[in-house]
Amino acid sequence: MSMRHTLKLTTAAVAALILAGCASTNSPTVGGGNVSYGDSKAVETVSNEFGSTDLQMIAETMARSLAQHPVMRERPFITLSEVKNKTSEYIDTRNITNSIKTQLMKSGARFVTDTATMDTQTDELMRQSQSGMYSKGKSAKVGKMQGAKYLLTGEITSITKKNKDVKDVFYKFTLMLKNVEEGIDEWQDEKEIRKTSKR
Amino acid sequence: MKLIRLALIAASAALSMSASAAGIADKLEQLGEMTYLKVSEMRVAKRDGLLAVQVEVSNTDASNQQLYYRFKWLDESGFSVWGEEAWKPVLIYGKQKKMINEVAPTPRASDFRMEVQSPNNSTNNISSPSSNGGGSN
Repeated sequence: MSMRHTLKLTTAAVAALILAGCASTNSPTVGGGNVSYGDSKAVETVSNEFGSTDLQMIAETMARSLAQHPVMRERPFITLSEVKNKTSEYIDTRNITNSIKTQLMKSGARFVTDTATMDTQTDELMRQSQSGMYSKGKSAKVGKMQGAKYLLTGEITSITKKNKDVKDVFYKFTLMLKNVEEGIDEWQDEKEIRKTSKR
Repeated sequence: MKLIRLALIAASAALSMSASAAGIADKLEQLGEMTYLKVSEMRVAKRDGLLAVQVEVSNTDASNQQLYYRFKWLDESGFSVWGEEAWKPVLIYGKQKKMINEVAPTPRASDFRMEVQSPNNSTNNISSPSSNGGGSN
């Protein structure tokens, strides 16, 4: 290879390197750039209605308060009952109780099947025990389900007031732990949230 | 036996003191230095195996200030032992000293960091590199 040829090749390589260096790399995304991912933990103040921050704050406060109760140290079986929505707006209360349950379970609490998932579980139990399709020694047996000692239930209420300038919403979430057998309210706590918006 | 007990009391006293005086700066993570809000006090104790934190935030301004905060829970090795917490909004009135109480969600948490952010920040204050390591505030 001639000296001149080598020089030409090197210049081309350097030029290619410089060009590549200047160009920014492509992000591993598809789309026109109108959509972006945000922080799921951010304080959401898009509107006055019940939102993600309310859900997260309620779940966190309730789970931490209950986790401190002496009853929880024995890790008793708890069942979840629907939280009543007494506000005027639509709120998926199952979403709130699910978040509370998730946090409590991460802290070590134990839950038994509740009414929301009972059908699915008992259907599977019946199939295994009564269909005759399963090997006797390797299938779930009827009559061994554990009853919960405690029941977790609650309600969410709201007071909404407005004048020509301001709309004020006050939410109150109450959660209680009931001793099923003895009929005692073992624990109760509430979380209040005030949201005010200009009209 | 009495000596051991005394030593234990002394050790726990030293531990709680170091926790409260260990420097608020070590536990605080400011997203831009706050101009009007100051974390004036921080108390740490372990209750029933759970880490309890009490933080006093003072508003030095006469007008209301908004604060956003959340905690990170760590074990003794500095590993995170809990998922990301939601940011929590708090309104602090002019000249008010607000107490923020938080209890760790898991007994595995032995240390914490408090993240704070206030919309009325003066990030210019932290531009000088000396205040970064010096922690003059």
